[in-house]
Amino acid sequence: MKRRTLLTGATATLAAAPLARPHAQKPVTIRWWYHFDDPKATPDELVAAFEKENPGIKVEAENIPWGGGGDYDNRLYTSIIANNGPDTAMVKFNNLARLIEMDALTPLDKWIDAWPGKSDITTDLWRLHTAPDGKRYYMPLQYVVLYLYVRLDLLAKQNLKVPTNFDEFLVAAKALTGGEQWGFGMRGGSGGHDSWMPFAFGTGAKPMKGGFVSPAALAQNRFFIDLHREHKVTPPSAPTDAFLQIVNNLKAGRVAMTVHHISTANTMVETFGDSITAVPVPRGPNGTGFATFGDGSTCVFSASKNPEAAWKWISWLSTGPNNVLYNKAAGQLTVTTSGAANWALHPKRFVDATVQSLPIAGVLPNLPQTADFTRVVWPQNTQKALLGQIQPDEMMQAFEKLFYG
Amino acid sequence: MLAPALAAAAILVLLPVLDTLWLSLHDVILYRPRSRPFIGLANYTRALTDPVFWESLGNSLVWVICAVSLQFTLGFATALLLNRSFAWRGIARALVVVPWALPSVIIGLIWTWMLDFNLGVLNNIGVMLGILPHSVPWLAQSSTAMGGVILAVVWQGFPFFAVTLLAGLQAIPGELYEAASIDGAGAWGKFRHITLPGLAGVIATALLLRMIWVANSLDLILVMTGGGPGTATQTLPLHAFLTAWSGGNYGQGSALAVLLTLLLLGVVVTYVWRSRAE
Repeated sequence: MKRRTLLTGATATLAAAPLARPHAQKPVTIRWWYHFDDPKATPDELVAAFEKENPGIKVEAENIPWGGGGDYDNRLYTSIIANNGPDTAMVKFNNLARLIEMDALTPLDKWIDAWPGKSDITTDLWRLHTAPDGKRYYMPLQYVVLYLYVRLDLLAKQNLKVPTNFDEFLVAAKALTGGEQWGFGMRGGSGGHDSWMPFAFGTGAKPMKGGFVSPAALAQNRFFIDLHREHKVTPPSAPTDAFLQIVNNLKAGRVAMTVHHISTANTMVETFGDSITAVPVPRGPNGTGFATFGDGSTCVFSASKNPEAAWKWISWLSTGPNNVLYNKAAGQLTVTTSGAANWALHPKRFVDATVQSLPIAGVLPNLPQTADFTRVVWPQNTQKALLGQIQPDEMMQAFEKLFYG
Repeated sequence: MLAPALAAAAILVLLPVLDTLWLSLHDVILYRPRSRPFIGLANYTRALTDPVFWESLGNSLVWVICAVSLQFTLGFATALLLNRSFAWRGIARALVVVPWALPSVIIGLIWTWMLDFNLGVLNNIGVMLGILPHSVPWLAQSSTAMGGVILAVVWQGFPFFAVTLLAGLQAIPGELYEAASIDGAGAWGKFRHITLPGLAGVIATALLLRMIWVANSLDLILVMTGGGPGTATQTLPLHAFLTAWSGGNYGQGSALAVLLTLLLLGVVVTYVWRSRAE
């Protein structure tokens, strides 16, 4: 009798179990691809915090090798074509046009407009995150704007002030060149297009149809190439110098100025203390200027079976304190105004130089050719121009042809 | 008995070749997956009328001829040295294989930093010894960049010749050298009339194999210069790779790969003919 009662009770309990736990459904799993510059950084803390707040969603964070951007992008394209892509991923502007052409992206407008965190992101950032068709496919996640690093102690020795326009920049670069020291650490190698754009488009030309061969862009590009060819204010290795070379040369005192962004600010301060600062890149005579915007965004792929869950995750990442935590790992700047107000991860002068550059921040054309431009066409043509194998104007004509035929 | 081998060859070799041929006749852009129109030989025409193709072909010829001949010369000299008796010979034979055993990416990075203008040890030593008046941006000048990558590939590849030719040297009977000595032959005579003829088959096979490998390889150049400065070190396989991988143009990249294969066919046919003859 006793045994029968026990069995009956157990059966009843089992039968009632689903009713007793109406919300205990199997969690939805979303796959998120990411890449951090620092290989030791992980998003584990973020994922755990999100899953705790959203017990119905599980995030599978997959660290994808960057390979200069090319490896990451091509893995992304092929996974989408093979119908095995992630639900959401970190993405950059230079592959936006290709992803749109593949119909791979979900427009985020309806979600963004209803999102309470929208007003915590500046209109400058929303402007930059709007695609040519007027829709928003990318969610701001992190950002940098390229600025000019300047060694204040070296400038002081020459009785020079921090350059604010191209004429002053050339005067300073010449004065700071001598022996084994060069005024400007030019980046002609991989990724150098980012630090070239402030020069080419600094006096009013726009990176759009006809802009690359406009008189202003051609003149400015000649100015840029002549820094190496005529004025010799850059190291002889400038045509192939890339990230490591420009940063190490600045840290070693071999160059006095270079263009980079806030991700290297802390290491510069460790080396030079207050003797180094950052200022917005030089401007043209009419106050025009162009500061390259370095984006880091997220998106929701159209093939995702759980787009709402993916949106929840990426909007959570771009929300005030979560975005600050995220950027601790990413080493870049928060996209939220509330997070920036108490920003303590970088010295203030570098944050100020970045924020002051936002109004003139711009990006390359959002076209399918952009990825090829950054990886092959820009370095090949620029290096040829720097070595005198082609004229600077031919270099710009090649860019115009690539983008606009 | 033959069927499994044929099936394996068909799956591993024939299918990828046919797929590449199919791609080369279509306009295959990675980010336009729904549109792959047949365009006949347009990819080939575009490749052959592109000056970068001919520049890359010229670079490939310089790369293969210089790399293989220098690897062979250094490898042969090493093999002759290692064939002699001396203390610690076993360790020397083991050490000589180290460059061959290292991954190309590691070798590329090592040599990139050794040749670096700012921090490179070769510039440092050269200036200290007074050989160089000042640091030289070896990989940033079109006149020296190809020399820099060839130097790296010679260091990487000479052990292949050293080990292969050493095995060949050890197969030559010692009695031949003894008889030649009795007949009054000198070192050069023995080298010319015994060593060289004894190694001829091994040398020919090793040269053919290495030519194919070096002609196809792009990893070392990709790591060290990416084909630059400009296109100074861009070889044909690197041109094909960049077209497909960076440009997303798999049709054009495949056409370049097919053209490279056709160019290498002469070497491959010679190798197959020799293998069958042996």
